[in-house]
Amino acid sequence: MLKALVEPRWLVATGIILLGLLLIPFGAPLFYIYILSVIFVTALLAMSLNLVLGYGGIYQFHHAVFYGVGAYTVALILTRTSLPWWIALLAGPFVAAATGLIIGWFCVRLTKLYFGMLQISLGSLVWIIVYRWYDVTGGDNGIHDIPMPEWLTTFQGAYYFILAVVVVCVGLMFLLIKSPFGATLQAIRDNPQRCEAIGINVRHHKLIAIVIAAFFGGVAGVLFATLERSVFPGLLFWVLSLEILVMCLLGGWFTFAGPILGAAIVVALRTVASRYTDYWTMVLGIILILLIFFLPEGVMGFIQERVAAKNKAPHPQRVEEGSGS
Amino acid sequence: MDPSAVISLLLVGLARAMILFIVSAGLTFVLGVLRVPNVAHGSLYMIGAFVAFTIATAFGQSSAGFWFALILAPLVVAAVALIIERGLLSHLYQREHLMLILFTFGLMLILNDLVKLIWGAEYRSVTPPEILDGAVTLFGFNIPRYSLFLLFVGPLVAVGLWFLSNKTRLGKIARAASVDREMVGVLGINVSWVFAAAFVIGCALAGLGGALVAPTTSISLGMDLTIIIESFLIVIIGGLGNTWGALIGSILFGVSQSLGLLFFPQFAIAFPYAVVVIVLLLRPRGLLRSAW
Amino acid sequence: MSRKIFVLFTLLALTAALLACTGAPPTSAPPTSAPATSAPQATTAPPATTASAARPIKVGIVDTYSGPPAAFGNDALNGFKLALSEINKDGVLGSNIEFVTRDDKYQPDTALSMAKELILEEKVDVLVGTVNSAAALAISSFAKEQKVPYIVWIAKSEAITGAKGHRYVFSTSENSAMAGKAGAEALAQKPYTKYWIAGEDYEYGHAIANAAWDNLKALKPDVTKAGETWWKTGEPDLTPYLTAIMAAKPDAIIFATGGAGMTNVLKTAKAMGLSDQIPIWIHTAIDTSVLKPLGANAPEGVMGTMDYLFYYPETPENKAFVKAYQDAYSAPPGFPAFHAYNTAHFIAEAFKKAGALDKEKFIDAMEGLKIDSPTGEIEMRACDHQVVEPLFMGVTKKNPQFEFMTASDLVSVAGKDVMPSCEEVLKKRSQ
Repeated sequence: MLKALVEPRWLVATGIILLGLLLIPFGAPLFYIYILSVIFVTALLAMSLNLVLGYGGIYQFHHAVFYGVGAYTVALILTRTSLPWWIALLAGPFVAAATGLIIGWFCVRLTKLYFGMLQISLGSLVWIIVYRWYDVTGGDNGIHDIPMPEWLTTFQGAYYFILAVVVVCVGLMFLLIKSPFGATLQAIRDNPQRCEAIGINVRHHKLIAIVIAAFFGGVAGVLFATLERSVFPGLLFWVLSLEILVMCLLGGWFTFAGPILGAAIVVALRTVASRYTDYWTMVLGIILILLIFFLPEGVMGFIQERVAAKNKAPHPQRVEEGSGS
Repeated sequence: MDPSAVISLLLVGLARAMILFIVSAGLTFVLGVLRVPNVAHGSLYMIGAFVAFTIATAFGQSSAGFWFALILAPLVVAAVALIIERGLLSHLYQREHLMLILFTFGLMLILNDLVKLIWGAEYRSVTPPEILDGAVTLFGFNIPRYSLFLLFVGPLVAVGLWFLSNKTRLGKIARAASVDREMVGVLGINVSWVFAAAFVIGCALAGLGGALVAPTTSISLGMDLTIIIESFLIVIIGGLGNTWGALIGSILFGVSQSLGLLFFPQFAIAFPYAVVVIVLLLRPRGLLRSAW
Repeated sequence: MSRKIFVLFTLLALTAALLACTGAPPTSAPPTSAPATSAPQATTAPPATTASAARPIKVGIVDTYSGPPAAFGNDALNGFKLALSEINKDGVLGSNIEFVTRDDKYQPDTALSMAKELILEEKVDVLVGTVNSAAALAISSFAKEQKVPYIVWIAKSEAITGAKGHRYVFSTSENSAMAGKAGAEALAQKPYTKYWIAGEDYEYGHAIANAAWDNLKALKPDVTKAGETWWKTGEPDLTPYLTAIMAAKPDAIIFATGGAGMTNVLKTAKAMGLSDQIPIWIHTAIDTSVLKPLGANAPEGVMGTMDYLFYYPETPENKAFVKAYQDAYSAPPGFPAFHAYNTAHFIAEAFKKAGALDKEKFIDAMEGLKIDSPTGEIEMRACDHQVVEPLFMGVTKKNPQFEFMTASDLVSVAGKDVMPSCEEVLKKRSQ
């Protein structure tokens, strides 16, 4: 089945990269293991957004909410109840998906910018609750010292766990995009009116896409909580949502792997640039604006375009997207 | 409950709403005409406050300094906005909303760091002019004179905006352009300068809000973050692009908060947000008709 | 394409402006705010050739150089650098103290991530910093795990060395428990019984309000709480909040705010005439960084507590410290500079006492260590790693010597008198 979906050379390349990632903890210093884990978590978050944004054309402006809800679910269950850790980890994505269902239910009635603005508002309400409800969420303090099983508290343990979960999730997302549902979603993105005309329930599909994206965003949140063993209200703040959007743009949002690249670039930039300057957000801002002007398809999109141009294939991205239908 | 307490709280709540109105009117104006959700709007508000501080300090924090600051700060912000619009934003109007919101986000990142570069990190303050300093006693309560001043300025701005959009050529074209941009272009009107003017006016309102808030608060880095989220909520409940909606939204926001303070002080912060949820449940597109 | 050229030109101009600004510190900003971003790149100290060879002691600083409390972070960094210039004249353990610093942007998650980098990658011997109490707590649990000493120098939540304290965390700042008790003792002597508590809804605000109220209740059981009001940090206009409080007519108000919010409260209280009608106590109300921007706009007669004032006590030690700081940064030192200055001296003395670059020995040496600070001898309490230092109480008053208000009627309170006992702290930790 897999062969039908992916070219063999891509499978081989993915396999080699995965093997490399498996071997990294044997040689790399702890800090790099940690930063790679952060990149995996952030990449999953960005990819989950890209699912609705790039493939669904839905203006998901406040995706960080689901990330934060997932992380807070884990933190609250593990610090407030005596339930075992794996229940908390499993609960996170489902609570995030439920939040996605509620927010999505309001938003899908609207389109484009109105959708995005309403989502920022509703998401900010969730943020306010977390930030304000001092007795339960610890307010601005967040929750620290989340208990985790011993093997997950080492950097290597967390690395392998996160890698495994992220690989599974990315695989699932890939299958989803190549599935009939994914094809319908892309069709809705490209022409909602026509889809409506041929009897597709557009709102219904959009809502499902939002719930699925929220689920994977929640998985990323759970992974954040396992890695840092702390959660903060900043995880649900709208600024983070825009940063994730930047990652998608940076990598290229019509490509599957683009957000991974975008997340890696942003995390690396933050780590490296902050060593040299206090003004690294300005650096990010300038890069972002340059990108909007000169590289709107993102780095990955740019590469694909070049590769496609070499192969003389017309409309590079559309070919890639349409291949599932 | 003491009725005079209710009245005085309503007054100060309304005064607070006026600042929110001025800032969110700018946001909604830009949104209505240009369809740009300007995330950097809060940064421009912050710049307005810092510029007001610089001007007021140049005049030794005197009364004259305040009045100059109030007039000049919005103009400085307008100049910044003009540079941004002509230099960068005007090349992006054909792009998707998503690109535009990300563009303004990049702008926000840059502007905030620039404020840090130029003004440093210390807290700043602007002295209110003598006639607006202190409080007057109304119904047995001390109401700051400055709040009464805000109650005067807010409606002035509202009337000014109404005049601008209904009685001037610019406003009429802007309203037409916000409904059907291509049509206006086809009619042979140069939409480009209309858009520039709209963006500059919207941003100048943010600057005016910043200058107006300066005497009541401490001017510091990060003051943009709270105002921008509140403005977005107000714009949403008012109806995107609808200036009167912004006015109603601001009043709902300010008054619900101050009445909440009187009856449930511990939970007062939640009140405006509860209002937002209720409005959105009933009317997801906002209270008044959106401009588009 | 001319369009692209135009865009490029605009961006280039921006970058040029940026470079011009970073090249020369902005003239409009006082030097205290010039961020010391040139993080020393001496990070790759040559590996010790022999085990006994001296290498520099490396201190990692995670602090806030952007966002609302950036003024504190910059002030602390200056105080720390001033102390290092003194310490490194003679050196410590045959070498000197170096530092690397990172901006946490007032975000606890960024702070934690930066702390991880400093500990894992930069391999710092001691970690210090943070304005943000939430960030301090997050870093604290990581430092504990990694067994790296972490000294908190501005954040004031009592949880840091109290309920969440452990072997690896220290505080060189007065904490909310101390300030609350000092305030409560002052208030208990006054005739007020009906109190209102109001403040900013964040860790520090709640910590200080609880400490003041619990102590006041214990000292004077007949006090009653008429109500509480909490606003979010960064709330621009406090007039509605204060109007509602005035409507309730309390005898006195305890405000629990910090930083920029503090300036807001004082300004609004003055504008409304609230401070003339109702007595107010706010910890750090007499802090220079709060009163200075307000100039003559601050209200008079507000009661406050503080652990450092550059004009008090008028001892030769304090005057020397103020002069050295003023010469270097052309502004008087604030409390963060004082804390950071003390922290540097604590670090130097502890390593001297330990006699080796060893983290565990450093902690043993820190416990009970006494140093001479600009305000007199201060001690690192062995049982909970909380600094024992005097607090000063006074009321705001116009001062002809300065363009801003200062504290008058100052009295000094010994640190040990307002600290919870070791038993109380250890009991909290075991809960």
